[in-house]
Amino acid sequence: MSALLLYFLTIALMVFLAPLLLSFIKGVKMWLLYKRPVSITQGYRDFAKLLCKESVISREASAITRVAPFLVLAPLVVVLFYLPPAVKGAYYVSFVDAFTITGLLALSTFFLMLLGLDSASSFGGMGASREAFISALVEPAMVLTIFGVSMMAGDLGVGQAGVNLAEHFPSEHMASFLFAAISFFILLIAENGRIPVDNPETHLELTMVHEAMILDITGVYLALIESAASLKFVIFASLFAGLFLPFGPELAWPLALLVFVGKLFAVALAVALIEVNTAKLRLFKVPNLLGIAIVFAFLSLITFYVLGA
Amino acid sequence: MVDFLIGLFLATLITALFTTRLYRLLFWYALNSLTLGLLALTIGSRLHDRAMLLSGALTILLKAGVIPYILKVLSRKFELVRQIPPSIKTQYAIMLVPAILVFTFYLAEPISHMVQGNANYVAVSISSLFLSLLLMIEHRNVAPKIVGFLSMENALFLLGTTATEGMPMLVELGIFFDLLMAIVVINLLLYREEAQS
Repeated sequence: MSALLLYFLTIALMVFLAPLLLSFIKGVKMWLLYKRPVSITQGYRDFAKLLCKESVISREASAITRVAPFLVLAPLVVVLFYLPPAVKGAYYVSFVDAFTITGLLALSTFFLMLLGLDSASSFGGMGASREAFISALVEPAMVLTIFGVSMMAGDLGVGQAGVNLAEHFPSEHMASFLFAAISFFILLIAENGRIPVDNPETHLELTMVHEAMILDITGVYLALIESAASLKFVIFASLFAGLFLPFGPELAWPLALLVFVGKLFAVALAVALIEVNTAKLRLFKVPNLLGIAIVFAFLSLITFYVLGA
Repeated sequence: MVDFLIGLFLATLITALFTTRLYRLLFWYALNSLTLGLLALTIGSRLHDRAMLLSGALTILLKAGVIPYILKVLSRKFELVRQIPPSIKTQYAIMLVPAILVFTFYLAEPISHMVQGNANYVAVSISSLFLSLLLMIEHRNVAPKIVGFLSMENALFLLGTTATEGMPMLVELGIFFDLLMAIVVINLLLYREEAQS
């Protein structure tokens, strides 16, 4: 199959899987808590339902509320094109580095915060300030981690790093690789607002972060925001799969895609297990968790430089 | 594989440093010992050293199974405080831990030139020695201090296995015996504290 076709097939698959993964996490959690799990297709149903609904916009809201949902989604869609390839021989963008990806994610978060502030409710402002607090702490660790992995892979471009890792796995740098993986997993949880940092299912004013910002959003706009959240998860999961579980792309393309989907579901399962087993952290303890992520990211770099292990 | 286990060893120790609950701390200690035992088994099977295989199996059995269990039973029996917030704040520990790691990695540089082969492991074991010292320093309660002592012993075991390619069997058995004696002594110590209070 041609390289470009595989590239677009992978992206389409990721877009298709994005709501499925979040419903899967929810289902696993409910099943482990002895509840009757939601259907795995619930994400699509919610999306379809929100598309049919009328969208109500607050009288105080400015034009930003109409524009921002698209601008929340757009950078994430762009990032989808820059991810490491899931199949060997597929087309990929080699020159985009960690800073670009982190910057695009931050741009999406910025518009989400603007949206929260624009609704002029007290919840929106609160959620936006919390989101700013968390994402400011995530960024240094994120850059350090992807930078460390890029050093091990021998290329600063994220896509190229994934290809290099799949072709020649640096087993002599296994220790620093492991530290980077731990750090990145903590970041995955923090950026996607999963349980130790934020509870995506609650509407309690003390704990809301993401939900507080989108409390006033309805209809199509809510559908856009929700799909942005699921795309963000799939981006992080596929970054984890591409950089830290670099096996599988050398197989024949249907099999390689299957392995890729399996890895995404494995990441989702790990997130679900962590969610069931831990309590949500108080907001002012979140810096401690992200500090641990920074420690591991830094450790990965110094282990690589000083020990070469 | 050995590099992976070394990384896991250091990672579990660092996670133990930030733990605030006693049972979680015991869990991380058990995981730490488990990686140590697996490390000894891997190196032993590579060197075809039956003594090292035996000591690895004993490590998994004793340090990852029996000792955490005994400590858990003891903490139940004496109703030890299970909330153990470190007295060094996490914000400072976040700066302190990388500083210790960088310091010890450079400290171990001259030593690791003397060792053939597994030069990195000397640095990792010395840094985990310092980190377990930090674990002992940063807690006021007796139980985490005990865990810190035990992880210090783990670090020494790592140094022994990797730097010397296996200590004599007699020495290792002696260490195991010492460790069990230490647990008995700790038991007596807790009894004394109980009697005094």
